[in-house]
Amino acid sequence: MKKSIIISALLTLMVVFSAVAQEGKDKFMVQVDGLGCPFCAYGLEKKFKEFKGIKNVKIDIETGDFSFSYPAEKALTLADVEKQVEKAGYTPITAKVERANGEIEESSASEMTKKSEGTVSKNVMVAGNCAMCEARITKAAESVQGVSAVSWDKDTKIMKVSFDAGLTSLEKIEKQVAVAGHDTKNHQAHTDDYGNLPACCKYERLSYK
Amino acid sequence: MKNFTWLLAIILFGIQYCEAQGPPITADKPIMLGGGSFTAKTLTEIRHTERGDFTYVPVMLHYLPTSNSLVAIHLPYINYDIENGPSGSSLADIKIMGKYQFFRKDGTGKTFRMVAKTLQTLPTGRELDVMDLSTGKYAGYYGIVAGYESLKYGISNELGYNWVPDGSLDALTHKIGFGLPLLKPQYPNKQINLYFEYTNSWLVERDWYQLLYAQGIQYARKNVTFDLAVQVPLVNDIEAGRKLNYSLFLGSRYSF
Repeated sequence: MKKSIIISALLTLMVVFSAVAQEGKDKFMVQVDGLGCPFCAYGLEKKFKEFKGIKNVKIDIETGDFSFSYPAEKALTLADVEKQVEKAGYTPITAKVERANGEIEESSASEMTKKSEGTVSKNVMVAGNCAMCEARITKAAESVQGVSAVSWDKDTKIMKVSFDAGLTSLEKIEKQVAVAGHDTKNHQAHTDDYGNLPACCKYERLSYK
Repeated sequence: MKNFTWLLAIILFGIQYCEAQGPPITADKPIMLGGGSFTAKTLTEIRHTERGDFTYVPVMLHYLPTSNSLVAIHLPYINYDIENGPSGSSLADIKIMGKYQFFRKDGTGKTFRMVAKTLQTLPTGRELDVMDLSTGKYAGYYGIVAGYESLKYGISNELGYNWVPDGSLDALTHKIGFGLPLLKPQYPNKQINLYFEYTNSWLVERDWYQLLYAQGIQYARKNVTFDLAVQVPLVNDIEAGRKLNYSLFLGSRYSF
């Protein structure tokens, strides 16, 4: 009798812990093209192992369906996932994430399968002060789908960005940087976004005619 | 002229079926498995010719800095026994390879890719005049590899030219390999693949021509493969006493 109670209690605890663990995970589902053989799937999984904490990796090579779960606190974006698929040497077609809090985000197939028009590089002025600003600016720009490389120089205030012109534009990237709280040459950050910046990042605001 | 007709026929045959699986054994492939990965491999060749017997054991390390580029080094060892000639063992010609994928078209469960390839042979081996194994001469090979791979079958096609400063081993080479998986595609990886591979080689200056056929089988599990192939000549239009009888290939590769 005593044994049964202990076993039941342990099982209950396991179920509870498992449920709690699942709650803290975002579930990603990506459809990937180009998986021509099981080795390709190995290449894809190996590349995603660079995301520390990835679990429950499943790949159906016949349909290209690729799914995994990832700790919600790391806030992995669909753009990061799509980039990683590209780095593995394959093509992301659709991507969807079920966040731990129940939110669902999707990337539409039509957006992702737009024909590449080639990578272009542009320079644009972005206001900021310090290394924290640099990290925020580059993160914001990189989150835009189609952006392949970003750098920002705190001395010259110039952001150099390379992106696929078929997927995005400099205007979209500037807008995203402005949403992060930084004035750009063509887009001023909202006062609230600017106000949310830490004290060391409170740069001198740009004037617009 | 006869040689050229053979070569042309095979190239056209290859192009016609340029919609056909798998990492080939004696041929090369255009598919690369993710940036930042390594593959260690070996492909021992036991070559029996009218001139003598050669056992070639290369240790190869391939590295992919990005998803569309590859650099590799091949460190080979050779044992040779030439009739009425020298015999022994030594380091063979070290090779450095570079590949760049310049075209990729993906579909669900299939992909077509094209790669530019160069293979630089360093004159570290003995001058045994055994092409691809030990020549003791510098050589630069430049070629294009194109391949289509699907879950049902695959094909790889390679056309290239080997240049040697003194011209004595200049060669136009075309390889085509067909792969056929015998097991249902599954992941984690477990495969048995059959390969049918043809190599055309025309030594320009010597006017030697060979058409070789290799029948291979491959077992793959997770990130390891084991390969076995037998290569025999279909056309052996080279100098008497130098003809190939057959080659046996034994290989393995490990990706990490």
